[in-house]
Amino acid sequence: MTRYGRQIEIGPTDNTSNERTPRNRLHLIPEEARASFAPYAPYNYGINPGEADMTRLAPGRPRAEGDPIKVVGKVTDEFGRPIKNSLIEIWNANKYGRYTHIEDHSGLALDPNFLGIGRTLTDQNGNYEFWTIRPGAYLARPDINRWRPKHIHMSIRGGSSRMITQMYFRGDPYNDTDPMRILMGDNFDKNIGIEFETPEDDFDCGYKFDIVIGGRNPTFFEDI
Amino acid sequence: MTHSKAKINRLTPTNEDTLGPYYPISLCDNDSMDMTKIRRGIILEPRGEKIVIEGCIKDINGNLANGCLLEFWQANADGIYRTPLTETHPKLDPWFNGYARHRTKDGHFSLKTIRPGINKGLEQPRAPNITLTIFSDGIMRVVTQLFFDGDPTNESDPLLLAIDENLRGRLMMKFAGATDDGLKKYTIDIIMAGDNETPFFDDLLS
Ligand SMILES: [Fe+2]
Repeated sequence: MTRYGRQIEIGPTDNTSNERTPRNRLHLIPEEARASFAPYAPYNYGINPGEADMTRLAPGRPRAEGDPIKVVGKVTDEFGRPIKNSLIEIWNANKYGRYTHIEDHSGLALDPNFLGIGRTLTDQNGNYEFWTIRPGAYLARPDINRWRPKHIHMSIRGGSSRMITQMYFRGDPYNDTDPMRILMGDNFDKNIGIEFETPEDDFDCGYKFDIVIGGRNPTFFEDI
Repeated sequence: MTHSKAKINRLTPTNEDTLGPYYPISLCDNDSMDMTKIRRGIILEPRGEKIVIEGCIKDINGNLANGCLLEFWQANADGIYRTPLTETHPKLDPWFNGYARHRTKDGHFSLKTIRPGINKGLEQPRAPNITLTIFSDGIMRVVTQLFFDGDPTNESDPLLLAIDENLRGRLMMKFAGATDDGLKKYTIDIIMAGDNETPFFDDLLS
């Protein structure tokens, strides 16, 4: 048995990535210890109505500026088995590329009707849906004029499934220079939302974003 | 490994990505760094010795790694993890989940918990340990495990034995006296990169 796993790569032009990426290869986990690396999160999420609609601060409030979009998808393991009842946390910048986060000091315009934080659960088939505003790109490295392409952050947590990822948009001019996109290589396609027309006309469009959680963790306690 | 056989029919996983710098702080409102209280306002408590673990996450320059999201997971005082397989286990502790999550603003953390025990029913018992998952800007999820310095069971722990001897010390939480409440306190620095880098583990390929 080999002792080493992946070598995590440093995102080109990403200073934080350079400062925080382990230089040594990851170590493989011996089978006797494997179960202890499948953390099982207890279900204690109380989701409030309207949390999956990020286009408004609350039901009945005015819509935020920009293009309302619908994001739908299915969360599965590598075998296509649905990951049910998992918590999806969503955060994205407003149409100007600004987060409401207290540590976003970019000075870009805020939208008083946009929080940019949402939550939803996957259903019995692993499906989820949320509404948000198509985010703007933002300048990540002013010194070299490197922008972050439009993206939506998502965290998926349910049972021993765990993933934090980002959904990107096809054709964004800044995709090609994004550090993590470069590391993803051809696999970047997996992280692009596929556009579709929505039957409702109060959305600009929808995006289908299926999420496959790799490795043994998602179904660890069903597997053995 | 039975798992590699089925590789051909597998779906390609979605790429994990960085946490970014702006993980919403309010999403942690219902999280706690006190594993000894899974429900507020009740007097019942988990079995075991209460302890406090204080630590920090540092980058390659020795600076604190701000804005990380940390997740901790551990077994109860009898070495039993709470999972779907142990819900009816006689030694499951009803007052202990063993899970905590925290977004650290400046790179420090403080976890109140109980000292995990040893599951003697295992063929190869594990030394007491706490699993730590780190999400950060600039990097996707990394995982490791923290041990108690000087614990005699460390000598035979299969995970510690799987890494070079000179790396094992980097996973040790060191005894650092007592807290104001009289609990034993342990400390550890997690070094994400560079000299004295903390060993991290591959839970995708393992
Ligand atoms: Fe972002």
